[in-house]
Amino acid sequence: MIALGLEGSANKLGVGIISHPSPSKPPLILANLRHTYNSPPGEGFLPKDTAKHHRAWVVRLVKQAIRQAGVKVEDISCICYTKGPGMGAPLQSVAIAARTLALLWGKELIGVNHCIGHIEMGRAITHAPNPIVLYVSGGNTQVIAYSHRRYRIFGEALDLAVGNCLDRFARTLMIPNNPAPGYNIEQLAKKGKHLIDLPYAVKGMDASFSGILAAADILAAQISEDLDDAKRLKAEDGELVTKADLCFSLQETVFAMLVEITERAMAHVGSREVLIVGGVGCNERLQEMMALMAKDRGGSVFATDERFCIDNGIMIAHAGLLAYETGIKMPLENSTCTQRYRTDEVFVAWRDQDTASS
Amino acid sequence: MADEFPCKLTLHLPFPTPALADTALRALSVDQELSPLVRRSFTLVAPDTTAESGAKNVLQVSYSATTNRMLRVAVNGFFESVGVVIGVMRELDVDVVDMPGSESLEGAQGLEQVKV
Repeated sequence: MIALGLEGSANKLGVGIISHPSPSKPPLILANLRHTYNSPPGEGFLPKDTAKHHRAWVVRLVKQAIRQAGVKVEDISCICYTKGPGMGAPLQSVAIAARTLALLWGKELIGVNHCIGHIEMGRAITHAPNPIVLYVSGGNTQVIAYSHRRYRIFGEALDLAVGNCLDRFARTLMIPNNPAPGYNIEQLAKKGKHLIDLPYAVKGMDASFSGILAAADILAAQISEDLDDAKRLKAEDGELVTKADLCFSLQETVFAMLVEITERAMAHVGSREVLIVGGVGCNERLQEMMALMAKDRGGSVFATDERFCIDNGIMIAHAGLLAYETGIKMPLENSTCTQRYRTDEVFVAWRDQDTASS
Repeated sequence: MADEFPCKLTLHLPFPTPALADTALRALSVDQELSPLVRRSFTLVAPDTTAESGAKNVLQVSYSATTNRMLRVAVNGFFESVGVVIGVMRELDVDVVDMPGSESLEGAQGLEQVKV
């Protein structure tokens, strides 16, 4: 079976076409297109402008995807779109296109949970057996484990997502948003030398990032070049603290927190594998820190590359097709979008009841 | 009793066929109005409303709102959605989807050779 997937919950518009040739064979990616809306440095992306971007790009990306995949409309089984969670206006702008396509082509329309899309794509690409999933992006931060036909949330961010913390700090430092603020922070952090004290806010199985962001913003003001050298923040060895040092310190702090809450879930569930999904999962330092922890526990880390960890349409097509193959149908009247959509709201009919098997 | 929604606007969107008008109606009517200060209803009508017969290929949308500002915001948003519906119909319907597109793909990731 073949599915078309449309993703637009944040600033990336993704269109993917996936094929499930048979239950025993791996899925085939026929097209995976994406266009990102970047705001100028110092600004975040707003819902209205993001929706405008998605409306401008959805038609041409779907057309290009169909032509690249070389599929015919009659070969397609269903149209999948992101039902949520995410930003309202961008979600709706993509859902409108999905509904129209489903009606014109006479196909079933499947609404997909964005988080489930990330998880299922991560499982398909890495073949991780039954890992703890760390889902980290600009909009979400959750520690997830599969149990009895639901992806259960074991821990999460209490206030804002870790990627949101990083993105907003990038705005404070006026770091460019192209290709992504988090990517630019990661590159700058590699040049950082001094670890500056920041609050560390793990609360049991959960984590909190807003206080750390506030503390980081205060530090950023203290390294401003407008200040005299005498007033600027210095490290223990007397050197002036740089933007790179702050990026490095922020990453080390928040990533250590993520490693801790992931490890706590691993101990709770008795799992040794970690699958990292979501845009922040592209960060190589996070992967490295997680791998050190997993190795200590006799396990390993699974991660995908930027084609799949950053928001994309193929994960929506994949997760939607998995649901469609179990016989799920959704009437068009219910093809709404919702900003709040918990990962454990979805009944994972396509996996076995038993935790250990697929 | 005073009308609580005095600011009204009726739109007529003609489509090439009744089927396309119905598709537009079904796609656009799923989303509820965001504000309780705006009400909206859809129906299909014939182009010449005085005639008894006639293909119902016109989507009639009736808005009423508490203020002109709410009306304007709602209708502008609606037109943006209509733009997407029409774009999909024009470029992606079954008879035209395989044809090359006219819009630039600059900056898109995942571009490969087309197979068509």
